[in-house]
Amino acid sequence: MTLTEFVISTIVKILVVLGIFSALAGFGTYLERKILAFMQRRLGPMHVGPYGLLQVLADGIKLFTKEDIIPQNSVKPIFMIAPIIGAATAFIALAAVPLLPEFEIFGITVHPIISDVNVGVLFVLGVMASGLYAPLLAGMASANKWGLLGAARTVIQLLSYEVVTGLSIMAPLMMVGSLSLIDINNYQSGGFADWIIWTQPVAFVLFLIAGFAETNRTPFDLLEHEAEIVSGYATEYSGMRWGMFFIGEYTNMITLAFLASLIFLGGFNDWGFIPGALAIILKVSFLFFFFLWTRAAWPHVRPDQLMWLCWKVLLPLAVVNIVITGLVLMI
Amino acid sequence: MSEITIKIDGKECKAEEGEFILNVARANGIFIPAICYLTRCSPTLACRICLVEADGKQVYACNAKSKDGMEVTTLTENIAEERRAIMEVYDVNHPLQCGVCDQSGECELQNYTLEMGVDEQHYAIKDVPREAKDWGLMHYDPGLCIVCERCVTVCKDMIGDAALKTVPRGGEALDKSLKESMPKDAYAMWNKLNKSLIGTVTGDTLECTDCGECIAVCPVGALVSSDFQYTSNAWELNSIPAACAHCSAGCHLYYDVKHTSIDNPEPRIYRVKNEWNYVSLCGAGRFGYDFENRVEGKDEEAFKRAVEAFEKADTIRFSSTITNEEALILQRLKEKRGYRLVNEEANRFRKFMESFSKTAGTTLWSGDLKSVHNSDFVVSIGSQLKSDNPRARFAFNNAIKMNKGAGLYFHPVKDPVVEGFGKNLLCINHKPGLEEAAMYLILDLFGEKEAMPKEVVEYLDSFHSKGTKTVEETIKEKVTETVTKTVKDEETGEEREVTEEVTKMVPKKVTKEVEVDLNRLLDILEAPEDFSDRMVKMLAKKEKFSIILGEDLFCHPRSENLARLAGLIQRCTDFDVVILPSKTNTLGVSLICDLDDEAGEYVVGYNAEGDFVLSASGDGDLDMPALNQQEGTFTNVDKRVVPTNAALGYRGYLLNDLANALGLKAELTIEYTAALPEAKGYKSFEFDDLPNRYTNSGEEIRGYRITAQSVEPDEAGASHIDESAAMDGDVAYRCNPVLQFNEFTKKSHELETEAKLYLSAERLESLGVEEGDRVRVVLPEGGVELAVEVDKFIGGDIVMVPDFDPKVGAERIFASNRYQNVTIEKV
Amino acid sequence: MSLEQFKDRNVTQNYKFIPVDKPPVAPMDKFKQVVKRTFRGELFVGLWVVFREMVKFNIHTVQYPKEKLPISPRYRAVHKLYRLLESGYERCIGCGLCEKICIANCIRMDTRYDENQRKEVTEYTINLGRCIFCGYCAEVCPELAIVHGGRYENASEQRAHFVLRDDILTPLDFLKEGKQEEFPGFGAVSPNADERIKKTPLAY
Repeated sequence: MTLTEFVISTIVKILVVLGIFSALAGFGTYLERKILAFMQRRLGPMHVGPYGLLQVLADGIKLFTKEDIIPQNSVKPIFMIAPIIGAATAFIALAAVPLLPEFEIFGITVHPIISDVNVGVLFVLGVMASGLYAPLLAGMASANKWGLLGAARTVIQLLSYEVVTGLSIMAPLMMVGSLSLIDINNYQSGGFADWIIWTQPVAFVLFLIAGFAETNRTPFDLLEHEAEIVSGYATEYSGMRWGMFFIGEYTNMITLAFLASLIFLGGFNDWGFIPGALAIILKVSFLFFFFLWTRAAWPHVRPDQLMWLCWKVLLPLAVVNIVITGLVLMI
Repeated sequence: MSEITIKIDGKECKAEEGEFILNVARANGIFIPAICYLTRCSPTLACRICLVEADGKQVYACNAKSKDGMEVTTLTENIAEERRAIMEVYDVNHPLQCGVCDQSGECELQNYTLEMGVDEQHYAIKDVPREAKDWGLMHYDPGLCIVCERCVTVCKDMIGDAALKTVPRGGEALDKSLKESMPKDAYAMWNKLNKSLIGTVTGDTLECTDCGECIAVCPVGALVSSDFQYTSNAWELNSIPAACAHCSAGCHLYYDVKHTSIDNPEPRIYRVKNEWNYVSLCGAGRFGYDFENRVEGKDEEAFKRAVEAFEKADTIRFSSTITNEEALILQRLKEKRGYRLVNEEANRFRKFMESFSKTAGTTLWSGDLKSVHNSDFVVSIGSQLKSDNPRARFAFNNAIKMNKGAGLYFHPVKDPVVEGFGKNLLCINHKPGLEEAAMYLILDLFGEKEAMPKEVVEYLDSFHSKGTKTVEETIKEKVTETVTKTVKDEETGEEREVTEEVTKMVPKKVTKEVEVDLNRLLDILEAPEDFSDRMVKMLAKKEKFSIILGEDLFCHPRSENLARLAGLIQRCTDFDVVILPSKTNTLGVSLICDLDDEAGEYVVGYNAEGDFVLSASGDGDLDMPALNQQEGTFTNVDKRVVPTNAALGYRGYLLNDLANALGLKAELTIEYTAALPEAKGYKSFEFDDLPNRYTNSGEEIRGYRITAQSVEPDEAGASHIDESAAMDGDVAYRCNPVLQFNEFTKKSHELETEAKLYLSAERLESLGVEEGDRVRVVLPEGGVELAVEVDKFIGGDIVMVPDFDPKVGAERIFASNRYQNVTIEKV
Repeated sequence: MSLEQFKDRNVTQNYKFIPVDKPPVAPMDKFKQVVKRTFRGELFVGLWVVFREMVKFNIHTVQYPKEKLPISPRYRAVHKLYRLLESGYERCIGCGLCEKICIANCIRMDTRYDENQRKEVTEYTINLGRCIFCGYCAEVCPELAIVHGGRYENASEQRAHFVLRDDILTPLDFLKEGKQEEFPGFGAVSPNADERIKKTPLAY
């Protein structure tokens, strides 16, 4: 592979990932509204396009054409940059995620990963963690007390759960012995029985809980809890800037779903008769659905309950899990 | 009359001996139901619902007189049963049209039905067809009528028209068995009710002076105003208490106001209500309410011109249909800018009162209309009562009817209405100009010789002479006769003849010559021959005297002398004197304004003619609010300062705005109320502090009374009768027909009419004209062309030229005398 | 029927009190509570319930402008003025009770004495912009002349559109086709009305 080829293929991949995932984020909102509606015996969007399919488009047009309002007393450059940080970090995190198994198209072998970094997991988690600046800066810059409260909540929540995320995947990583997501994937190539979830169920649960917290999903969406702080850090945002927060959130959800699938659920290995590509899409879809499912079923927790859960329950559990894993590996 | 104490339901009540229990209860806030009784009128005993138990006996509270120490119970089991049965009977065949009925909830039938808890009907009788009748301004629906006879009673006892009566209803008689099964009084009441309905004395049409008091007193919706009928529910109307602006009585009334229609939110007056238990309105007050002057807004151009006119003017001429406050504004303008204030009519009155005070010793008359109501001997001189001041006429009639009173009515114009007041009333239609003789006659008959100036006594003596008269007397003679009759022996059964001597008294007529006192005054006045005899009868047991003096006296060539005589009557007789001011606020104007005799060169007229005219009737150079659009006070015939409120808004300029532009300073016209001259008897009350109501016992609490000032009387007495002033030949009298007073009554839509020449039916015949013909009325001071109309309420040969239409100019033509010689030519 | 009975709307107050445990204080109790709550599987019950509903796909949405729920005949939307069934005259007698009782003060009527010696309602308006559809007018109407209808879509560009009288009066042809249905809501004659009144004796 020449450098040119590499550059071109990378740019193409970036564009494809950007395009597809932006669209998926949009489509994700449609799915979310539909699924929530069905679970609540409603129909959801129905009027724009067949079954309301074009609702996403309509929303997009609305967001793009809406007036860009910047509050008078806000710190303008930061206020304007913050949503971009949110979206950008979400997409950058995807760079190190192998999305599908290798495949050939027009005679070219495609590695569906933008950059196979050998510390992929660290990279993804790191970039996702730096995404916390988006709500933090947004909330602090918008000169709004709800925004400020939302920002403060963001910081405590993300920082706390970052710890749990890291510790929870420590154990699988110890088993695999590599930080490359492809290596982790390949570790589970032996089929259904090889999935890490079977050996590390506690880690999986912890990772999932922490993932929910990091993507601000119910039951942990404290930073924009409507009933308490209007819309948290996004209170003053409207139009496309607000939309970028949204895209970031949904992209993060997908990223997280990919991570969970790759680390715990056998990645893109073939699953029985199901080819690997389809398998990972199914897994990711299920996890995405699970995000929505919990939103329909579970209530919010209080901020103090959240912190209590993190530091007094999840963190000890994660540590105990690592210790046990270590002991087992040593023996 | 002595103060006594009776006990009603355990409550000690002070009362006058002989006062009806019902009135005592009402005055003390104790409720006794009553439908047919009207305060100030005689008990009808039609409803029988005011049944109470007095000292253990059932009596009707409306006609049972209270005695000292009486114990009254207003409710017993038996009474409750009677009352309930009575209300059930009233509800028999009463249509359930409450939804459309004009009484709309102000219905006494409804109230008492609910009060007595009637939830079930036990009685029934076949109904007879009852057709609604249109009686001109009144509309009678016998279907709704409960025959309480209040209308009949008020028409007879208060108004004096006696135009209504009960007429047979027809239909089935009551089932005789009911007499046993029904409560006694309820049966009696039903028996009477079932036989009668209300009808007019004259058949199908109603011929009366259209006062509409029957509408006011009707407890149900049977009698309503034709114009008001079905136009509004009572509860939608906003009642604004006011004083009637048409004559000097200044009656208390309410203007009922509501938006005009859905399309037009401007308020308009729908009807006039009155406190009919305490004050009776005449037709002009009741039906002449919408004389407001509607303007779109402030006409700044006209206002500017008005201010210019005022700056140029040296005279303000104005009429007396203004409030006291406006009069004071004019007076202040006079003080500030030296205007002459000209108001001929009020000036005449002022001069009359000035002369009056010189002999009376006080600036005001002693009586009021209430004292006329309460008196039992009433005299009226120089007033066409029914059109000059209908309240005075009601009082006159009421006194004669209720107090077994008697009266003398001196007036050149024959008045069938007054003649109908009763038998104890002597109407003397003297020649115009001889009012002095009437006044002297009163002094002669009632004056205390010691109190009167010597020359007056001597002058009166000069009329008397001794004469003889042949009198036919009836004496009773004792006659003894022998009578033979057949008597049957009861034991034996035999018949035999018995002769008896019977003594009995037999009347016998005897003629004899009697020496009598002849009074030449009676000859001058053309009094009937039996005047003296009738006077003896009429004066028997009379205690309270009152005399009503009218406009004829001050619009008279010898008004000064008449005034002095009036003053003597007040000072030297027992009479309560009431002088009827000629216009709404003539008394107020004459007290507040320093009036001038002669007008200057440039005249601003306020509701009067002038070079620049401010007019409340809408035809002047600058519009002014009419009296139903203004707040302020009037000084009325009762010498009372009565407040009136604005029923309708006014968008244009007020006199106060003009006054402010001319250098006076007051934000509102009513700021002048407290500034009315105390030297003339006014008091310093703010307008908003003036009360305006009647108490339950009928006490009038409206505004305040002005106090009379005492004047040192001169002892000059009065001049002799000028017999040459008597007018012969054709005479015209300046007088309005019933219901008309001024341009405002003329303007109101229910009374709208043209000024005509009014004459009696016999005069019409003798003139040889038809009704509706136009004639030329030629008078010494000018002529006028008018159509002819028969006035049913006058008799004799004198014709009437009205002054309610200023265009006729009657005020000017008749300035020197209310009577003028006239030639009537057919056009 | 006494007033007390009339006022009783037959609503039994059936409240249940749910006992609430005191929150644990000791750390061990707290831990026990977490364990209890975690392993009771309530979270999964919640997940199951919403999943079940999704699968059942028992949708309750009414797609409003396209679909409309059938409304109760007692629904109180824009008023109707009824006519007499046989003669076709307006039922309204102009008693003005609706005008009086209207708490939004939005009803006005003009009446007059007509040629047939009856009270005629010459104009009648309801300012629907002000009306709160409380139903008092229908309840108070003695003639069942004004009732509430089912027309609840009354958005308009002009206030004037809120006062049209002809819109609410039953059209004559509509009446002739027998489409004027009696209103069963407030103010209608109760089914047992006959039992509740006392008959007045008649002499013929």
